[in-house]
Amino acid sequence: MSTSSRNPMKDQVAFAGAATTGFSAHNTDRTPLSLAAEACSKLLRECGLKASDIDGICGPSSVSAGDLQNTLGIPELTWWSNPPIPFVNQVIQAASAVHAGVCDTVLVYHVPYRHAFFTASALRDPFRRVMPAIAPGGNPDTMWGPIGYTAWASRYIHEYNVPKERFGLVAINDRSNAQDNPGAAMREPMTMDDYMSARMVRWPLCLLDMDVPVDGADAFIITTTERARDLPFSPVMINAAVLGMVDANVEDQTVSLEHHGHHVVAKALKAKSDFWIDDIDVYFPYDGFTIITLNWLENIGFCGRGEAGDFLAANWDAEKNRILINGRIPVNPHGGALSEGGSQGSGHIREAIHQLQGRAGVRQVANARRTMVTAGGFFYNAQGLALHRD
Amino acid sequence: MSRSISDSDLVSTFAHLGIDRDSAAHYAGRLEHLLLINRCGECSTYHHPPRPMCPKCWSTDVAATEVTGDGVIDLLIFLHQGPQAPGVDYSTPYPVASVALDEQAGLRFTATVIGSPNEEIAIGQRVTLDWFDRAGVPTPAFRLVGGAA
Repeated sequence: MSTSSRNPMKDQVAFAGAATTGFSAHNTDRTPLSLAAEACSKLLRECGLKASDIDGICGPSSVSAGDLQNTLGIPELTWWSNPPIPFVNQVIQAASAVHAGVCDTVLVYHVPYRHAFFTASALRDPFRRVMPAIAPGGNPDTMWGPIGYTAWASRYIHEYNVPKERFGLVAINDRSNAQDNPGAAMREPMTMDDYMSARMVRWPLCLLDMDVPVDGADAFIITTTERARDLPFSPVMINAAVLGMVDANVEDQTVSLEHHGHHVVAKALKAKSDFWIDDIDVYFPYDGFTIITLNWLENIGFCGRGEAGDFLAANWDAEKNRILINGRIPVNPHGGALSEGGSQGSGHIREAIHQLQGRAGVRQVANARRTMVTAGGFFYNAQGLALHRD
Repeated sequence: MSRSISDSDLVSTFAHLGIDRDSAAHYAGRLEHLLLINRCGECSTYHHPPRPMCPKCWSTDVAATEVTGDGVIDLLIFLHQGPQAPGVDYSTPYPVASVALDEQAGLRFTATVIGSPNEEIAIGQRVTLDWFDRAGVPTPAFRLVGGAA
């Protein structure tokens, strides 16, 4: 099947703003709804919007659209949805609803939360323990879900003979960047020794190869580009947005590291967008596991198969101890999922918006105009988003 | 296919593995120490996990069919921690392997590896099928061909 370049929504829909509570790597005494309400009310105030200006709500099912509407007193909605993460899915659904005219202005949210599944300390919190389970348990003989990334990391090392230190560059980049982000959960400097001596969790991946479970929330306004121009911040236009999945999508049946969801995203995003990787000013590859970032760099075209580690070493800013592609393009300047906190893509998209709006503070990339977010992993959840401003 | 075990007992035995009507025959096979993989009666293609239709030709004539369980380790990890399971304490990292089965290119089955120290288990090694009991339930596993070196 040929990849379609049809994209009637191009630049017609935009982010008007984004806000966050900041993330914590400790259990807060807050519910997901409380965190979502904080991020959303903060953003509505920043954008000068009233509750009655919102007619759509979209976020993951951990906070229902109805509960959020009720909590914020949003009088009437003509559209709402609670699709599964990663977060480009929420963006696409909300933008599509706006473009189709089902609603005009959508409040979009995500709540990264320390569910009992993720950590022993979260499991000890009785309020978290009674929340619906987010993953099956009791079976070690599986490559299901997050374990699948470990399996393919192992295969990657086997096929390309990549030293583990190359994975460490992804983690160190995120940690160095997080030092400039007051909202990041993990900000202490990380050395290669720290990385290499971290506790092994699922060989070959250690604790520092895996994103940090956090409590926090992000909020976004998606509306027509026309309406966004009347709001206080520069509109960040959605130039192209796609999801990608192949038929052999079960973790242990995936054909190879050269044929999975990333490759569908790369083809479709390239066909639908007006700019590509050489045109962007900052890049947001997903980093829920270090292997995902290495494989994204290859699959989106920055380097060849198995070469991402060497590519990072060759594009390393020794002074700031971080990645700077071609001496110019920072990668996950907010600290990414590995150090800001595991946000299933919402943190990456929020930072992309702040960078393009010139609101990224000390992290600001000079004159940032275009960016790409390549979210998600190999199996059921690869995603891409091309964003730009005037 | 008639089974010697009631649906109710079958489901309660394998509920933690997510058994449903499409995978019931596979799990019933485990009780007989048979590794059953869905195969299409029209085009002979295997697929896994069990689906109600052949992904290749859309035939609904799919049947859980015995395979040898011989193959090569494609994917391999060692769990230093993991879900609670009877007889698994992770003090010795627990191996999990996805094995490319000889029956068809790209067809894999995932299970633990028994009978060899972890240092001897590696991607690319040939294995054969074996079984062990976990809480009284027959559980598939792989064993390196030739046993420990």
